[in-house]
This record gives sequence, C-alpha cells and structure tokens, in this order.
Amino acid sequence: MSETVTSTSEWAIPVQPGLLLRLNLATTTLTSYRTFSEIGPKFPMTQIPLAWKNLTYDPRRLVVAVSGIAFAVVLMFQQRGFQHALFDSTVEIVRELECDLVLLRPTRFALSVETRFDRSLLDVAASHRGVVSAVPLYVENLGARLRRENQKARPIRVLAFDLDRPMLRDRTREFASQRNLLDGPSTALMDRLSRSDYGFEFGSQALFPQTGELNGRELHVVGTFTSGRDFAHTGNLIMSQENFATYFTHRGLAPLQQVDLGLVKVDPQEDISQVQQRLSETMGNEVSVLTKQALIEREIALWDRSTPIGVIFTVGTLMGFVVGVIICYQVLATAIADHLGEFATLKAMGYSNGYFVRLTIQQSVYLAALGFLPGAVLSWVLFQFNASFTALPMSMTLERVLVILLATLVMCIISGMLALRKLFAADPASLF
Amino acid sequence: MNVGLNDQQLSELLATWPVDHAALSVDVDHVNHHYGTGEMRKQVLFDNVLKILPGEIVIMTGPSGSGKTTLLTLIGTLRSVQEGSLKVLGQELLGITPTSTTELRKRIGFIFQAHNLFESLTAFQNIRMATELLGIPDDQANARIEATLRRLGLGARIHYRPKALSGGQKQRVAVARGLIHEPGLILADEPTAALDAESGREVVTIFQELAREKQCTIVIVTHDNRILDVADRIVSMVDGRIVTNVLVRRNALLSQFLTQIELFKVLSTTVLSKIADRFDLRKFAVGSEIIQQGGVGREFFVIGAGSVAIEIDGRQVNTLEQGSFFGEMALIRDQPRNATVRALTPVSCFVLEKDDFQTVVQSSSSFEEELRKAIFNRQ
Repeated sequence: MSETVTSTSEWAIPVQPGLLLRLNLATTTLTSYRTFSEIGPKFPMTQIPLAWKNLTYDPRRLVVAVSGIAFAVVLMFQQRGFQHALFDSTVEIVRELECDLVLLRPTRFALSVETRFDRSLLDVAASHRGVVSAVPLYVENLGARLRRENQKARPIRVLAFDLDRPMLRDRTREFASQRNLLDGPSTALMDRLSRSDYGFEFGSQALFPQTGELNGRELHVVGTFTSGRDFAHTGNLIMSQENFATYFTHRGLAPLQQVDLGLVKVDPQEDISQVQQRLSETMGNEVSVLTKQALIEREIALWDRSTPIGVIFTVGTLMGFVVGVIICYQVLATAIADHLGEFATLKAMGYSNGYFVRLTIQQSVYLAALGFLPGAVLSWVLFQFNASFTALPMSMTLERVLVILLATLVMCIISGMLALRKLFAADPASLF
Repeated sequence: MNVGLNDQQLSELLATWPVDHAALSVDVDHVNHHYGTGEMRKQVLFDNVLKILPGEIVIMTGPSGSGKTTLLTLIGTLRSVQEGSLKVLGQELLGITPTSTTELRKRIGFIFQAHNLFESLTAFQNIRMATELLGIPDDQANARIEATLRRLGLGARIHYRPKALSGGQKQRVAVARGLIHEPGLILADEPTAALDAESGREVVTIFQELAREKQCTIVIVTHDNRILDVADRIVSMVDGRIVTNVLVRRNALLSQFLTQIELFKVLSTTVLSKIADRFDLRKFAVGSEIIQQGGVGREFFVIGAGSVAIEIDGRQVNTLEQGSFFGEMALIRDQPRNATVRALTPVSCFVLEKDDFQTVVQSSSSFEEELRKAIFNRQ
C-alpha cells in the first residue's frame, strides 16, 4: 500500500527540472532527493539518466540534432514512399477488382502485355466446381486514343465489362450511382485522377456530360470514377462491353471474343488455393490461373527487378540513411568531444567501457525516437501533398512506418558506435 | 616529566615506526618510466622508490616536468607501469588486467585540477555518479552528499548546475565527488589552487579527518604553501628523481619532543629537524636488555615511552624515565658500555646511530658542553 502511494506521488511530480529545483531549494530535506532522482527516463544501470541529461541539456543543440535526424527520416520516407507508390499504382487496377482468381494468357507476363485468350475458356471455368462466376474484363492499352476539342489525341486505358456483373470494389460508389448512364451508346466514365492534359474537367457532377473523341469516334464522358495513374497510364475510362466492341474494331470481327482477363469468384465455402489448383489443371497451357494477391505480387516483382525503379529508390533511401548516419554521428561525436574531460573523469572513477557503450546506445535510441516522430509526421503531411499533386497512391502503412523506424534506429546506433571510438580514446591520464 | 607532547601526539609519533611493508598503501619500488618509442624514447622517471603508509598525507612538490604528475598517474592506474613494481592498496600494477584496473579505480578518489563536472547534472547528481558506481545505498549516499556539500559551504547550492556555481564552488563539488566514497587512496592535483583560504582549509581538514579516521592515504600535488602543514610526508622531485622524501609530521613531533629535553634545548631548530630525520624507533619488551655492560657502543638512546633500570655489575644503580637519554658515554669516549640498561616496562626508544650522534656533537659546542654537564651530574 505504502509503495503504491510513494510511486503515485513520484509520478505526480511534474517532470520539470526547473520547478523541482525550486522545490528542493525551498525544502532541502532528505526525502526530496528520492523524487529528484526519479526525473527523466529510468535505467537499470544508473539512476542518474546521464544519456538523457546530456542530450537535452542544451535545447538549441537538441533541436538541431532532432531536425537533422527528422530530415533523414523524411528523406527515407519520401524515397520509400515513391517506390511504394509507383509499385502500388501499377497494381491499383487489380486491387480494384472484386474477384478471387484471375485468368490470363500465360504469355501475358505483365498486365500491359496485350495477349488474350478465347472467351469460351471462361465458360469452361465458370462451370468448374467451386466457381461461382467467371466474367471477362477487356482492357485496351495501346489502341485507345482520347482527344478533346483543341487538344492532342492522347493514349488512355479503357476497361470494359458486363455492366450487370461489374466485379468492381467501387469504394466511392461512383460506379453504382452512375451505372445506368453507361447503358447509352458512346458513353463512358472517366477516372477523376486522369491527367488534366486530356482537357476534361472533374470538378463537379454538373460539368457532365463532356464530349470528346475516342479513336476518332464521338464519346460522351458522363461521369467519373476513382482509380489512379501509373507510369504507363495517364488516365482510365470504363464503359460497357457493348460500347467497347464498337470502338475497338481492330480486335477483329467479334471484338468481345478475345478476353484480356478473366475474373473468377470462388464459392466462399471453398478453399481458394484448392480451386485455383484444380482450375489450373483443367485449363492447361491455354490460361494461367493466379490468385489476386499472387498477380499483384508478380506484377510488383516484375517492375522491381526488370526496371531500374527498385534500384533508384533503394539508392535514394540509402542516401537518406547515410545522411542520417553522418548527422547523427556529428551530434554524438560533438557531444562526446565537448565532454571529454568529464568522460575521462568517469573512467578514472572506475566506469567501464561497457558503461560508455550503453550510454551511447541510449543516446542513439533517444535521438532516433526524437527525430523519428517529427520526421514521420512531416512525411505524412508530404505524402498527402504528393498524393494530391501526382495522383500516385502515397500510403503509409504500419509495416512501412515500422521499417523506417527500424532503419532510423539502426542509423543512429551505427553513428553511436562510430562516435564511441572517440569516447574510448578519452584518456584519464591527460587529466592530471 | 613533561616532554612537550600529549598522549595522543606521542602515540601518533610512535605509530610512524616501524614500516610494515605488507600494509603499505602505496609501494613504489624501483619504478622507471619512458615516454615515446625508438629514437624519441625519453626516460621521465628514474628508479623511483616511495613507500606510503595508510592514513598518511603526502605532499608532492617539484618543478613542472619533474615527473611528479607521471608518478601520480602511474599510482592512479591511469598509465601502465613499464618497469619496476608498483603496488597500490595491495594490488600490483605491473601487468594488471583492465578488469582489475577498473575495480581498483573504484577504490581511489581522484581530484583533478579541472573540475570536470557534467554541465547537464546538478552538483548533487554529479556526486551521485560516484556513489552509484560503488552501489552505496541511496539514503546513505544522499545523506553523505548533503553533509559533505554543507561542510564545504555549498549547502544552499546542492541542486545547482555547474553553470550557476563559481569556479571555487565547482572545485569544491569536484573535491566532494573525489572523496564521497571514502576511498582508500585519494590522488589530488592542486585541489586548493582555485579556493580561497577558508574553503581551502576546509578541504584539507576533511582530508585530515579521512586520513585519521578512515586510514585513507592522500597524495596531493601542490604548490600551495598554505596547506604544507597538513603533510605527514613531503616528497620533492627533480628531473624524474625523488630528491627528498621527508616525514615532516614525524620530524615535527620528534623535534617538539626533543626540545623539551635539557640536552637538546641548546640546538638550533635547523639542526634539530635535521637530526630528527635520523632517529629510528626501537621497541623493547619488559626485562629485555637494551644495552649490555662491556658491549660495543653503537647507538644513542632517548626514551620515548616506558622506564628502564641502569645496572652496573648486576646491581641496579638508577632508573630512567621518558625523556631521559643514555648510551652517550661509550660513543664520546669510544669505550665499551659501562652499564647494562634493562626495560622495566615496555619501552620505546628513539635511537641515533653513532655517526649521526657524533655529527651533532661536532656541530654544536654548546651541545657538547651540555652533554658533559649531564654526564658529570649523573656521576
């Protein structure tokens, strides 16, 4: 009981050295020391939190140090953020699909490769045990050019499907609310994140319909949906498969006979990977069967390995890391250099090298934590700004935040270990 | 007979002999030291020998570059011993392991010329850095820190940061840090240089208390004449050699003792302090013969404590008490001993060798005269 009371009162003491200093001056009693030593973080090693005290003693220096580390954190966040954004953006279209399995031609090693399979294979898949439905998705990457009055014709990606079985996640409910508008001829919804170069305006629903030309034929853009851009695609349209057939005659006499992707929904009672395996065996070499997640990973891996994007951003992140190591080292090394006499005195008193290692690691961890917080907050703000500016999906997931936190910790500890050499060099013999 | 020393002073004087080598606090034995290597190698310490007892206060002096600082860092384990043997608090430092070094350092208190206080910590916390390392319980440490700072006139500034303290106050905090754990050995470099007379005196008074009560050995490098009086021993070094090593406290007490004896009153202070240095102490059990009739006379004796009987041909002719002397006749006349002297109680005698005794006799005609008078009176 008494212990509880004591600890409560200790916590009740405001963590303000200045205030406590005045308190202690007023009543210099023995009991006041107990609370005094409780200030600041506690350590098993020593009750005087020297690491914390030394770090926070000079507020100006602390601010400089924390800003430097926050800067490195922002650099790393931005680099990783863009990298993720670029990868995320290329698979955004897959993420938007409401299906469990995807069928595609084995030669379609990337989504943008235009090889297709015959629609009749979907009927085979649809009749398979455990499959609820198998519907086509038509995608036109290269053969679609959108033009508005007084503008150049620009390539655009066009997606088409059976409007009654949309297979879209449609998080913004834009498709559901405007689905009926797409029944009419020459109609489409345009991605509101498409580049403004197309000449269309997405400010409000009242602006629609807006008319342009798709492959030389009139197109009425009747509304918007929300997806996003990536490297290869600066905009998206969705329309009914019937309209799609009229625009892309180069696909042959029966344009809808050749399917880009087949979207399969699996019976919720069934195990998706088992259905995938069985379906794979049935379809043979004609069609590959991938789970949605596997397709996303395959696509990201392809961009990561077969393009310099992965390397560029990894180098960028590393540079942020190195900048952080240098800044953090400067801070810690200066802190040590300024107190060389004091540290040498501690050595003379009998403090071991192990103590200095712990002290430096503590300081590194504090710096990492203090620098990471503002860095992460600032990065989040910048992510929002970037996302609105580039229409890239800049997302800060917990996993990505933890990766940067870990990198920051490692960064500061490396600097700490480098700075430690200076500390080991502190020679108590020079004090006399 | 009043010999000019009270009981405490006399026992203090008698306690300075003999030197028990096993109990030495610091035992510097033929230590040489070099700086640099190869062509640049330069010897800075030459065959240093220095033996310091527990509780001794040693003041080291010498011009800069005389090697006193090097010797101090060697004693303090802050530099590795190269040649010779150096034992501190019973631990041999030649070839000591880093772990033992760290452990030994905890038993030594350092007071450096620069205060070396952490600006980020208060006076109290700076001192706590010392007590926590040694695992002194909080309550005990806090009380001790507070009491020490109060004694040093810093009671109102216990929780001030160094920035808010004057140079002298900072130095006093550093002094408190160096002695708070009551180490077996304190090494201090000009501890009073930055202090006014009053606080300088307080610091050395604390030193004296630690030395007397805790048998703490204190080695001070200083040029501060104001504190020379606290020294038990003054060691001065020139060019890497110990040129004088004088037990000043012992000599002072002995001189004080001797000047109360009629015979020695005629000697000047200079001569007195010079011969005081030459005296040895010998102890005798009850009934033992101190000198034997017919034996060869080699020494002169002054009774420091106890009483003796003079026997001629087996018959007791006289007894002598504290402050009396005997054994001079054989030395002056170069004759065999004319009487036996036997201890009636446990006896401590200050002993002067024949050569030293004759030097004294020759140096002062009045001393010789006084001596003859004493001999005449005795017959």
